[in-house]
Amino acid sequence: MAKRNLLTRRDFIKAAGIGAVAMGAAPTIFLPRQAHGASKELKILVWSHFVPRFDKEWYDGYVQKWGEANGVKVTVDHINLAEIPSRTAAEVSAGQGHDLIEWIAPPSQFEPSVLDLGDVVKEAEKRYGKQHPLCRGSSYNPNTKKFYSFCPGWTIDPGCYRKSLWEKAGKGSGPETWEDLITYGGKIKKDQGIQLGIGLSQELDSNMAARGLLWSYDSSIQDKKENVVLNNPKTIEAVSYMARLFKESMVPEVFAWTAVSNNQALIAGRASYILNSISAYRSAQQQVPEIAKDIFFTPALKGPRGTRFNSEHVIYCYVVPKYSKNVDSAKKFLLDLVGNYDQAMHKSELYNSPAFFDAPIPSGDRGYPAVKGAKKLIDLHNAWFSDDPFALPGEEKGKLAVLKDAEKWSANLGYPGPANPAEGEVFATFVLPNMMANAARGMKAELAVEQAELLTKTIFAKWRKKGLVGGKS
Amino acid sequence: MSGQPVSNLAVDGARGGLLDREGALAKLMIAPAILYIVAMIGVPFVLAVLYSLSDATTGDPSLNFVGLRNFTAALEDPVFRLSLWNTVFFTLASQCIVVLLSRLLATALLKTFRGKWLVRFLIMLPWTAPISLGTIGWLWMLDSIFSPIDWVLRYVGLLGAPDALLGAGTNLYYLGIPGLAISSIILVDVWRILPLATVIQLAGLSSIPKDLLEAAEVDGASPWRRTLMITIPLTLPITSIAFLFGVVFTFTDLVVVYVLTRGGPVHMTQVLSSWTFFKGIEGGDLAQGAAISLFMFPVLAAVAILILRMARRTEVV
Repeated sequence: MAKRNLLTRRDFIKAAGIGAVAMGAAPTIFLPRQAHGASKELKILVWSHFVPRFDKEWYDGYVQKWGEANGVKVTVDHINLAEIPSRTAAEVSAGQGHDLIEWIAPPSQFEPSVLDLGDVVKEAEKRYGKQHPLCRGSSYNPNTKKFYSFCPGWTIDPGCYRKSLWEKAGKGSGPETWEDLITYGGKIKKDQGIQLGIGLSQELDSNMAARGLLWSYDSSIQDKKENVVLNNPKTIEAVSYMARLFKESMVPEVFAWTAVSNNQALIAGRASYILNSISAYRSAQQQVPEIAKDIFFTPALKGPRGTRFNSEHVIYCYVVPKYSKNVDSAKKFLLDLVGNYDQAMHKSELYNSPAFFDAPIPSGDRGYPAVKGAKKLIDLHNAWFSDDPFALPGEEKGKLAVLKDAEKWSANLGYPGPANPAEGEVFATFVLPNMMANAARGMKAELAVEQAELLTKTIFAKWRKKGLVGGKS
Repeated sequence: MSGQPVSNLAVDGARGGLLDREGALAKLMIAPAILYIVAMIGVPFVLAVLYSLSDATTGDPSLNFVGLRNFTAALEDPVFRLSLWNTVFFTLASQCIVVLLSRLLATALLKTFRGKWLVRFLIMLPWTAPISLGTIGWLWMLDSIFSPIDWVLRYVGLLGAPDALLGAGTNLYYLGIPGLAISSIILVDVWRILPLATVIQLAGLSSIPKDLLEAAEVDGASPWRRTLMITIPLTLPITSIAFLFGVVFTFTDLVVVYVLTRGGPVHMTQVLSSWTFFKGIEGGDLAQGAAISLFMFPVLAAVAILILRMARRTEVV
């Protein structure tokens, strides 16, 4: 019988150990070491913008020109928005990757691994005026007094409604209050067979809609000092309202929606009202112009006591990971980006709004028809929303005018407190849309709120232990 | 061999030295596999254990030992408990259906008929397409507005009319109603695993000696009796392997749930892998995510042991 040559346990461990060491050492042996300081470099990771021409026609070109002007070799990588958290986590864990990472939600959980950008904010405010509080609240931790990100812009989240449907129902100017959605939205569903679409699903827009409703009903997840205050009579009132709204004006599709479903429903003529950015309208302009011409906008809807707030739709937050070796270039890039935000606004077809409204418009050819008398970004903001440069021929003028004062009725994630990792986890695990959906599916509002409060308090307590969230309860 | 020059033989002998030493050769051949397992499975597994015992977050992956706190927190979380139940239920339900359907398909594919290649091609198709792509296809099929299934149902009058069998609504909202959403996830899991299971079953059925079946037929055994007394017992080990492989694939799958429902409506289709992702990566609580994922380990380890034992038994047979 032949002797069997089996690996002993000792052999296995030896082989595995040598292998692991070899794998770890391989890159240092076989890859030439990069000479530090030989040339300036900047690697940027950004999301693939919802408005495709923004990346193609502006951002990528702007970045290259900026690089040439500043003697920096810049690389831009675009990824799907859903991949941003996992990609950032992987790069932070590996201790290498991009010098600048753009998030479209507050990346507060990454505070321990990113640089304090307080100096950039200070310099930006010196050059461009005050940063909008909504942007500050999405990038600053008052407990640690650290700017974990830099926010140059944001996106408005208005209501979008089909005027022809609302006219037939007797409210051509569109809804003004949440209650209107039941009164007239219900009537449209009953008489014209078209439902309205406020998501109750495990996705972004449903999360924002739930927050907007809660704020407009004078409630919130946390107070200004980051104490959990979710379980209160006003939340129960808001949740009860959502159950009624679902019954009167919606269909079960809202439980299954993805982030693009409300856009699709509006464009397909299957929704009388949705809560979304103007991207749905812009898509309709290209795909179904007759529907686009019928889409009009409302500011945040008023709650029972007249309060009105919507969540920002997108908040652009750049982080500089601590591993970055190109911090100066990264900071300069951010400051210059604010200085050129007029182009970001225009090339995004007004999807992007500035964080620094008082920033001056640079002189010279800016790549868009000059606006008479406009000196600051706020002037462009007002002029373009009054007379949309991207309106279709024959389209009614001034449709976007209601967005002019959006900064007054828009709030950051975490309002009235700051965005923080606990709010982020409550968002990522869909606590609020599920609270609303539970009630819409028949659960008692009190119980739905109680369950949501339990999950929320657990999450807050955990992050509070890490020192990243304030408050006591 | 006699014609080969002596000098060449000497060179071959020197070269062959290492190749002739079975022990060294075995170590050399197995080394890449061991390295792969250590790097891709061993290291992440050890990291997951370390993370689960710490308070690591995505933004701060440093390891501060907190004991079993993450495991007890997971057990207290109602969403985790629902995810655990869903994972087990979706896996068992889909794999029972897979075993039945794959047996039927394999039996059919043993026969000779026109267009057999086309049927075989269609059955294999889901296995050749990337899971994410196939699932996105299903997302469109089950869309709440544009579902082609609903379109066909409306066209044939089963949906969308006041007296229609499936209701007056324009759509069935497959992913928005819990029962339908759960069924949809199971359906897509079945669709995905069926090709593999069919091929395995086909191999098992082909290996049954024909004379055994013919002898039983000559002895007057009915088709049912032949199936119960010969086919099933002889193919049981390989059927079990098909089942267990399906269990591993489905139990650990994130894509189907993530693409179709993201765990909704109201976590009704949440599974351990998707909840791990939402908690650990999207929510930033790496430690909690690691603890949740480790709850899959005992089941997977047990299944792996079973597969190995089955494989050995099949080898002996």
